[in-house]
Amino acid sequence: MQHSRVLALTATFALASAAHAVTIDFWVRNDDAGFTQPLVKAFNASHATQVKLNIIPSAQFVAKFASAVAGGAAPDVVATDLVYLPAFAAAGQLTDITAQAKALPYYKTLSPSHLRLATYGSKLYGVPYSAEGSILLYNKDLFTKAGLDPNKPPTTFAEIQAYSKKITALGGGVKGFYFAGACAGCNAFTLLPLIWASGGDVLSSDGKSATVDSPAVRSALTLYKDLWNSGQIPQSAKADSGTDFLNAFTTGKIGMAGSGAFAIGTLKTKYPNVNFGVAPLPGQSGKSSSFAGGDTMAIPTGSKHPQEAFEFLSFCLSETVQVEQFAKNGSIPVRSDLAVNQYSKLDPRFVVPARAMAGGRTPYSTVYNDIFNSNTGPWLTMIQKAVFNGDVNGAVKEAQVSITKILAR
Amino acid sequence: MTDLTLSSGSRRGLLFRHRRSLAGALFVLPCVLFVVVFFLTPLIMTAWMSLHNWPLLGAHRFTGLANYRELAQDRAFWSALGFTFRYALLTTPLIFLVAFALAAIVERRVVGVGLLRTAYFLPVVVGLGTASVLWVWMLNAQVGVLNAIAQALHLTAEPIAYLDSPGSALLTTSLMIVWKTAGLSMLLLLVGLQAIPTYLYEAATIDGAGPWARLFRVTLPLMRRTFALALVLSVTGSLLAFDQFYILTHGGPQSSTVTAVFWIYNTSFGSFRLGYGSAMSLVLLVILVLISVAQLYLLRDDTEL
Repeated sequence: MQHSRVLALTATFALASAAHAVTIDFWVRNDDAGFTQPLVKAFNASHATQVKLNIIPSAQFVAKFASAVAGGAAPDVVATDLVYLPAFAAAGQLTDITAQAKALPYYKTLSPSHLRLATYGSKLYGVPYSAEGSILLYNKDLFTKAGLDPNKPPTTFAEIQAYSKKITALGGGVKGFYFAGACAGCNAFTLLPLIWASGGDVLSSDGKSATVDSPAVRSALTLYKDLWNSGQIPQSAKADSGTDFLNAFTTGKIGMAGSGAFAIGTLKTKYPNVNFGVAPLPGQSGKSSSFAGGDTMAIPTGSKHPQEAFEFLSFCLSETVQVEQFAKNGSIPVRSDLAVNQYSKLDPRFVVPARAMAGGRTPYSTVYNDIFNSNTGPWLTMIQKAVFNGDVNGAVKEAQVSITKILAR
Repeated sequence: MTDLTLSSGSRRGLLFRHRRSLAGALFVLPCVLFVVVFFLTPLIMTAWMSLHNWPLLGAHRFTGLANYRELAQDRAFWSALGFTFRYALLTTPLIFLVAFALAAIVERRVVGVGLLRTAYFLPVVVGLGTASVLWVWMLNAQVGVLNAIAQALHLTAEPIAYLDSPGSALLTTSLMIVWKTAGLSMLLLLVGLQAIPTYLYEAATIDGAGPWARLFRVTLPLMRRTFALALVLSVTGSLLAFDQFYILTHGGPQSSTVTAVFWIYNTSFGSFRLGYGSAMSLVLLVILVLISVAQLYLLRDDTEL
């Protein structure tokens, strides 16, 4: 009797608390699954509010989100590629979190690129979730073999050319340079910084007009074209739609390749034999730049629990999560005050992308996808025409026209 | 018709007729419902959306025929359609030749023919998306099995990039599709072949027809309907091609392998313009219907009514 009453009591209690606790729906793109799962687990273990994690394939994120919104079943929190934020905010799908975000004590340390992309019409619609900066990977062993100093990565286009030539001369299938020739997104990530560091850009800073037809764009494309024409890039690069973006470098037969911070962890754990260095992506004559990428968290307007959703957002930005979850597992913290931490100190290679991130740039556009990410878009078409067909001038002029057309739509 | 004349005038007959037609209606009801819910409703919605500026996210507004006017001048769409036709013209004869040869091989009743039939048909059972991914890795320059074999046999020093030029990308994808779909056409043709009574061949042989005469005077004319069916299925499939190019070539190199459906997908989910995508879908639908009608008309069978 006694026993069953206790049972009944606990049952009622459990029911009551379950009814009290709010469950929020969190959508994240699959690239983030690795570090998101433990994060959600930690949150659920320490909070009354519970998070239900939903992992969405990257390529389908926008379409799935749109159908959920149309069906009145918008999630409470989404974390997706920061470049989509202007488009989502412009469509009126995100909750204005300006006041709450600015009240965070560490607001000023949040990744500036993320905040800039999450701002639409002077209001803030998102906070950074994960950070990713583009960098130059180089193979130290090949540098040594080619008679180069493995601690002096290239800092100008001319040095890239010269080093690549020496490395290609090693023969035996070794090539000086690599880029994924059929991958739009990969090149936005690794070629745009070369243009920025040379003092140019593809879009104006407000994202409203095209500035492709410029010397900086031409010189970056010419660098790739020359490397390609002189056989310093493997033939297979032409058709690589991104599957070998990193794979090519892991074979140990590539001297230099643009990549991202994500590669450091992968190389360290899966390819311990590749002795690699990390350097900033250089410009034509000495400066450097980086694509400040990663994911941003936002609360869709359809959320029924914006308060609890923000509670989760601030948890993700906390020092514990940024250091003990993100930095520990090899990703870059999104707060500059935590960029140097106990884990980054273990491997200085993590500091390069963290620094690059802070000074990195990101194109701001509501039609980013059309211009840069689409494999049939003007960005990739321009690169292919310039590098593989050798027509830098024609490619640049054509891109100027087609980007202007998309922006005018 | 007969039972109508017999029972007309009697009340019981009327009731019977009534109940019969009610039963008939009930039998077709699930099918009608299915068509209404899964075909007509989306079709009408697509038509409605095509009259709007309808973004994937956010509010839409009525724009009348603006999408269609833009479409008339959209070079990207018409060149995608042109590519789709070239692709269909390349693959359809290839599929038919291979399928007919395979059907001729597996038609004979010899030991082990069941194994061959299964082997030829097996790629059909694999999903198109899965098959495409499989080929992506088989063709891969770094780890692909095709290059590994070619290099082990010293046929090539550097890995072959199968998808790096417009021509080779189209050819490689077409070959993959022939491998993938010839089995289905083979099956259809096999059924057609086996439906031809053997006494016709015997009669033809007695009349002095050789193997070629038998093929052209007996086999092919009698397979007209089978051909029509296989052709319409194959051409429709080719004109709606999407997965293979989306996965294998991503539309490249330099947007040279973008099919009509690929472009519709890109517009709707890459540029987030659902309304414009709907307009293109409807235009493509009309073109497909016209082509199918033309094919069925050309291959109509007047021999029996």
